Amino acid sequence: MDSPGAQRAFWLITAYPRVVIAIGLLLIVIFAAFIPTLHKDTRADAFIPPDHPALLFREKVRKIFGLQDPMVIALVNDGPHGVFNPHSLMLVEWLTRRLEDVQNIDPDGITSLATENNIIGTSDGMLVEPFFEVPPRSQQEADAVSRAVMGFPLYLGSLVSRDGTGTLVVAELLDQVKAQSVYEDLQEIVRQAPLEKGERLYLAGEGAVAGYMGAYVDADAFRLQPIAGLVIALVCFVAFRTLRGTLLPNLVVVAAAASALGIMAAAGISFFVITNAMPVVLIGIAVADSIHILSQYYEDVALNPGDHPRDVTVRTMVQMWRPVTLTSLTTMAGFLGLYFASVMPPMQYFGLFSLIGVGVAWLYSLTVVPAVLSLLKLKPSNAYRRGSGVGSPDVDVFGNILAVMGKAVMRFPRLILVAASAIVVIGVIGASRIQLDEMLIRVFDPGEPLRVADKAINEVFDGSHYLDIMVETPEPEDLFKPENLQRIEALQNYLETLPHVKGTTSIVDYLKQMNKALNEDRIEEYHLPDTLDLVAQYFLLYSVSGNPTDFQEEVDYDYRLANVRARLDDGRYSIGKSVVEAAGHYIDTKFNAPGINANLSGRVNVDYHWIKRLGEGHIISVIISLLLVWIVAGISFRSVVAGTIVLLPVVITILMIYAVMGFTGIWLSIGTSMFAAISIGLGVDFSVHTTERLQTLMCESRLSIDEAIEKLYPSTGRALLFNFAALALGFGVLLISKVIVLHEFGVLVAVAMGTSFIVSMTVLPALLKVFKPRFIRQDNPGISKPAVQAKPAE
Amino acid sequence: MNNTLERLLAKVVAGLIFTLPLIVTDIQASDWPTGDDIAQHINARDEGKAVSRKLTMAMIDRSGKKRVRQTRGFRKYYGQEKRSVLFYLSPKNLKGTAFLTYDFPAKDRDDDQWLYLPAMRKVRRISAADRGDYFLGTDFTYEDIKLETKVSIEDYTRKTIGEDEVDGFHCYIVEALPVDEKTTRELGYSRVEQCVDDEIWMVRRSRFWDARGKLLKTILSEDIRQVQGIWTQHRIEVENHKTKHRTIFTFSEVDYATDVRDAVFTRKAIRRGL
Repeated sequence: MDSPGAQRAFWLITAYPRVVIAIGLLLIVIFAAFIPTLHKDTRADAFIPPDHPALLFREKVRKIFGLQDPMVIALVNDGPHGVFNPHSLMLVEWLTRRLEDVQNIDPDGITSLATENNIIGTSDGMLVEPFFEVPPRSQQEADAVSRAVMGFPLYLGSLVSRDGTGTLVVAELLDQVKAQSVYEDLQEIVRQAPLEKGERLYLAGEGAVAGYMGAYVDADAFRLQPIAGLVIALVCFVAFRTLRGTLLPNLVVVAAAASALGIMAAAGISFFVITNAMPVVLIGIAVADSIHILSQYYEDVALNPGDHPRDVTVRTMVQMWRPVTLTSLTTMAGFLGLYFASVMPPMQYFGLFSLIGVGVAWLYSLTVVPAVLSLLKLKPSNAYRRGSGVGSPDVDVFGNILAVMGKAVMRFPRLILVAASAIVVIGVIGASRIQLDEMLIRVFDPGEPLRVADKAINEVFDGSHYLDIMVETPEPEDLFKPENLQRIEALQNYLETLPHVKGTTSIVDYLKQMNKALNEDRIEEYHLPDTLDLVAQYFLLYSVSGNPTDFQEEVDYDYRLANVRARLDDGRYSIGKSVVEAAGHYIDTKFNAPGINANLSGRVNVDYHWIKRLGEGHIISVIISLLLVWIVAGISFRSVVAGTIVLLPVVITILMIYAVMGFTGIWLSIGTSMFAAISIGLGVDFSVHTTERLQTLMCESRLSIDEAIEKLYPSTGRALLFNFAALALGFGVLLISKVIVLHEFGVLVAVAMGTSFIVSMTVLPALLKVFKPRFIRQDNPGISKPAVQAKPAE
Repeated sequence: MNNTLERLLAKVVAGLIFTLPLIVTDIQASDWPTGDDIAQHINARDEGKAVSRKLTMAMIDRSGKKRVRQTRGFRKYYGQEKRSVLFYLSPKNLKGTAFLTYDFPAKDRDDDQWLYLPAMRKVRRISAADRGDYFLGTDFTYEDIKLETKVSIEDYTRKTIGEDEVDGFHCYIVEALPVDEKTTRELGYSRVEQCVDDEIWMVRRSRFWDARGKLLKTILSEDIRQVQGIWTQHRIEVENHKTKHRTIFTFSEVDYATDVRDAVFTRKAIRRGL
């Protein structure tokens, strides 16, 4: 036994097993006690660092103009009169009145045809009055409302669809934090609404997204976590077919998940949308350590059924602590890469607290697991029967399948290497074709009513994705200057030429409407007034019958700042990006001038700024993770070559996934960008275990490469198969997640695990067989001394 | 749990605070002038037949940004009919703008309003605003402006509900409730509470609740002193509690003694300017 330190440590742990177990259980309880204090933060803005300049600027703009994330109810009527019929307008009125009574909705912050004012030209003046005081009783009256609205370009596409088939009821909240209960109240109102044939109601809006996200994520967690736990228990049962083999890994899982979430809660970090994946991911990962330990344990039990449980346990741990530590370290390295490289707080914390969970799983695997095992009477597993083979137990069908695999590898090593090279080439090509894109509504399942509503609203109206542009002038009332207003008008005209920009609004549109109204409503008078005094006096005239706060969303009280809002009908990042960049260029080259300048804001701009960095964050996370894993592996094997070879399977895996993404058009997005760092950290476990075992077999047991490979498959290979099964099934549970971000993430990691497993079991041994690197050769000078090296007690 | 308890406790305490004075009120009520008495006193007060004055209107939004307009105003009674005119002196881009109003006592006759915008060189007749509409971007409604220091008898039923002090002056608190739903909708108020100085019979503080029963705005009449024997408010401040928008009216050069020529209240006059 040449690792006396480890030996002593595990004798110590097994000397006071009950104390170790008690401390372990106590810690779980303490961690778990913090979990109820977790604060949920499902806002879209949570994805952005809170001090990001784009976010701060948008907050400023929202404050100046009193902009909010509203709830939106869309009424669509496909009938011949669209929504301009007595019943639909009555419905708008009905919805408006009902919304006024909803707690936490600002009764004065509701915008609909029943609340908005028309600016009407009269023979000698201008009248600001509601489109209707009471809903029209006859079709003629409804037609009159239709004419009025259709003659008010400002409302077209925003309040009413351009073809008159739809209209919106928009409600602002008093307290955005209570969006969830408001959303539920609105769902009820929509359900109760008296609809006639042809009428449909859709409930959406940023406020609704925020309101529904919380419940959606909760429901998802309640669905995922029990299934994940069950799946893992099943994997363990199939692997070991004993009670302890099933329960012990689950104890480690509970410890990992409880500590990660508990420490997160204690640190005051919010539970974000993607945090939902963390418990599921930890369930899959945490189980790996104990699977390897139990595999070794049952092999030993099968060989030495008469030994004292403590002897078997210590022997097992002395043999397994090094690979288990190594794989835990590499997994943590992957999460660390994610933590360092990500620009998004939710992703950073996902990396950080998963890392903690993995660390705790490692600790429990090396302490509580041996403590429990040393207390239990030896009971062989049916999966590991003592066979005729000398020094190695006979194994079950899984071991046999892997043995066949091993034979194939030994026969066609070069063919395998050629295939691997092909994957590398295809992967590089695929990587170059990957598109960075994201769309926040995609968090929801395509069948979700909210997403259906969002789609319908973006089809019927000008769009619900806003790019706001704040125009700034130095002095109060500078915006009365015709040259400044014309500049804004030109900006709007330019914006409307951009793809997916369906409409723009600003104070300019109101002034044009007033100008038209004051010139007998002649359509050719729909243009800006041409003198400063005229502009000032139009506003005064408006105030004769308008409200003091009527234009607050378009212009500040000093007439110094104005907001120009462009509506996009597509929420994709790639669309927003082209609009943001084009608008930015126009503002820099054509708009800005002494005495006036503009800056971009709004959701579209904010999303542009952080999603832009998703790609770069992804690449950095891959580089950091590879580097960390390489360093950890290199140090452990005391060989740069070994570190590099261990890394190869994960590189091939990542390239393989890139190929899939590039050729099938899967976006590099929030969910998928996380896959690589995690897959590196996890996937490398397979190659670490394989390499470590081969090195042990060859250097210490003095076996030839072929003998070593043959021995590798039924034992370590089998353990890896179950390790893979646990991971793939664990991440695979995310497949049933309805949070699409997590769904994609789970799919990619699961596929990556499969790839890593197969590559580690084929390409890696083939590589070692063909190239015979020095670190596995028997004349390796390093083998006699490694302090970290363990070998089976023989 | 804790929260619910606290809220319940708060309700109980609040309930006691509000009901105790009511019980006391009933005992004292006989000593107080009735709401209608007070209203009659207010409306009987001399406002002068005609007045000329400078009025500075300052409107302040929720972020503290301010718009200031200086005007010269005239007002004259023709029996029950009231004519008033407002000439804008500043800012420069509104100078020469004038607003002329004829208020008719008959309830079924809409008031006549004209606006002269110099940039358009045209006197425009403004369709009668609703009584609850806001007046020229201020927090006063047309009804508030029209009543000036008077109160409307027919729109409300009133009741004296207590005593208070405003700016150190003893006042009766009069609660005024609109006579019906329609009036509530028209005025935009579901309840008004006025603190009336029983020395000079002027309202020193009014609070208004909107149609949904939420506190809407507060009007404070300040700097009340006699000008030529007539009690005159020199500063009125309104705050809209919902929008946080505020308006401050400041009166100066108030003159009741000099008669105002009838020709001032004509379309020709507002076109020609001061």
